[in-house]
Amino acid sequence: MTEELVTVTIDGLQVSVPKGTTIIEAAKQAGILVPHYCYHPSLPSPAVCRMCLVEVEKAPKLMPACVTAVAEGQVVRVDSEKAKKAREGVLELLLINHPLDCPICDQAGECELQDYVFQEGRAGTRYSEYAKRFSPVEDFGPDVLYVPNRCILCTRCVRFMEDVAEDPVLNVSDRGDRAYIGISSEQLLDHPWAGNVVDLCPVGSLISKDFLHKARAWDLDKTASVCPGCTQGCNITIDTRDDIVVRLRPRPNLEVNRHFMCDYGRMNYRWLNRGDRIEAPLVRDGGHHVATDWDTALDRLGQLIRGTSGSAVILATGRASTESLGLVRRMLDRISVTAVVQVPSGEEAPLAAVPNLALRAERTPNVTGAELVGYGSDWTAGLLELASAGLVIVLDAELSQSDLDFIAQSPASVVLLGTIFPEELRNADLVLPITTMAEENGSYVNRDRRIQRYNQAKSQPGMARPAWWVAGEAIAGPGPSASAPATAAEAFELLGERWPVFAATSYDDMGFTGRVLMEPAIASGGSKSARVGTL
Amino acid sequence: MAIGVKILKRPEREVSYVRATLKGMALTFKHMFEKKVTMQYPEEKSTGSDHGMGQWTISPRWRGTHRMLTDEQGRSKCVACGLCPQICPANCIKLVPGEDERGDRYPLIYEIDEFRCVFCGYCQEVCPEEAIHVGVHYENAEYSRDRFVYDLERLSSQTHAVSTLWDPTDPKGE
Repeated sequence: MTEELVTVTIDGLQVSVPKGTTIIEAAKQAGILVPHYCYHPSLPSPAVCRMCLVEVEKAPKLMPACVTAVAEGQVVRVDSEKAKKAREGVLELLLINHPLDCPICDQAGECELQDYVFQEGRAGTRYSEYAKRFSPVEDFGPDVLYVPNRCILCTRCVRFMEDVAEDPVLNVSDRGDRAYIGISSEQLLDHPWAGNVVDLCPVGSLISKDFLHKARAWDLDKTASVCPGCTQGCNITIDTRDDIVVRLRPRPNLEVNRHFMCDYGRMNYRWLNRGDRIEAPLVRDGGHHVATDWDTALDRLGQLIRGTSGSAVILATGRASTESLGLVRRMLDRISVTAVVQVPSGEEAPLAAVPNLALRAERTPNVTGAELVGYGSDWTAGLLELASAGLVIVLDAELSQSDLDFIAQSPASVVLLGTIFPEELRNADLVLPITTMAEENGSYVNRDRRIQRYNQAKSQPGMARPAWWVAGEAIAGPGPSASAPATAAEAFELLGERWPVFAATSYDDMGFTGRVLMEPAIASGGSKSARVGTL
Repeated sequence: MAIGVKILKRPEREVSYVRATLKGMALTFKHMFEKKVTMQYPEEKSTGSDHGMGQWTISPRWRGTHRMLTDEQGRSKCVACGLCPQICPANCIKLVPGEDERGDRYPLIYEIDEFRCVFCGYCQEVCPEEAIHVGVHYENAEYSRDRFVYDLERLSSQTHAVSTLWDPTDPKGE
């Protein structure tokens, strides 16, 4: 970067930042948090909350750190007496009407008002003789409740709807201490990205109906992951409580989703909590299935693969990791294979003000990853191949009745690597329990060829294993072998051996924000891609 | 080997049992006319304050089995904030929050396993609504083990006194 750098001193720490950076961002780089409410890195700054006031040497009065640009040689004090006193005053005024309902507030534990009051607020109130303002809870839309009492009028939600979603349904109504967040009389807060106002709200004023009363913030275990909703590949955090996924929240990644995620992705977690999972490998013995151990099941898988005459078909879900898709494909390398990935579609819903961010029409995360390891997305082509195939591997695909009819009419032996066992697939020769994306480590490649890791958020049911483990063991063959991958990182290395596009990167490189696979189109064969949309 | 036995010659009045018996009986009869110290539990019980000999008080800081306090309408004061299961060192409180017909947060399930409880009183100390309390109570016998998991109804219907945890006149225990 050839940007001009300026050096400022913040609380005694020197930091060099590009010219035009605000004090609050410069402080962040120095590792100093300037308390703030209205400021948000993905929203325009109105400087209305007055919480981020800092002392700037030679400035006549305190400056709002969120809109003041740094200047060369500037000396900023965040922890000076004057700045602290200003923040204490702001907090005291905010608390005049803020109810003391932290015990029943969903935000408690992750509330910025709570944090800052504990950190530097007054111990007591000087307004105890006045009754607090009270307004009833309002229903804003499909998933959002507004609790006016808790609102501190930072206007983040108003600015998000107006400037980012460009669907201005929220406003600040009335004036002075009577002000509240109003909603358009004709419209609900039902924009496909409206759920972000709940995350943006620094207090518990805008709350999610879906998450209401489900868990306290301190009960949650948080795992960095990638949204399995569409090919956008938004970075998310999976919040679990006692091994149950209770919500998905966006995780900042400026290259992919900034600080946002859509409501479709946000609500798309219930399938991760299904209780009707396969918990042990099942082999067919005559007319029924018998639960067995992995050694027996893997032997049977090896026999089926070796015994296959003719071609094989892989019907895979787009929710499978790149490692799983790749190694399952590699497992059948000696056979002629038609591999297809299932791509459910929906309506595209862009977020207006953020370029290249939308809920994509392809509602499954790993279409690009599947294409890179030789899968086509023409589902019917795969089904038509079934008529002459000797082996069909169903990799957790959700099969419709017509798909099942195709399989029933096919002479092929059926291997199901699945999370659930559909009633209609009772003729499967081998059923191997695999984990969902929340129960394994793996990676997805999004539509911009960015490969991103996701991590295990909950424990797997019974003997279920990641599909890449199953395929890796099948490739390595029976007996103790060093070549079977024990971790997702090792499975990923195996991908690199077969598909050079992955060879240049590793799990360590990907880190928490992913990495774009640089090599252009590769010869992997079998890809019958007909994707629409621009990169 | 012969054992040599030496017989001591003592005065008759010192070795006679008559004197010792009379002495013992005198003590016994003396107690018959003194104030009784034995309390006839369970016919007699502590009433919570000292009524002299035979009665004793449990400390107001005694931490016994729990009691959930209720509001004027008889509803439990608990708002299911989740602090007591969080603080509980024995992990004996089970809480599932829900919403009642007025839209208020309340406990759908609130259970305390009194067997598992170590009676530390942290739940009472942490409760922001002054709902859950440890009780000044010690009679907990039951016929089956499962009766020791107290549910919300049982906790709310207890009527015994609740602990003050600390002496109000000397809160720091100095």
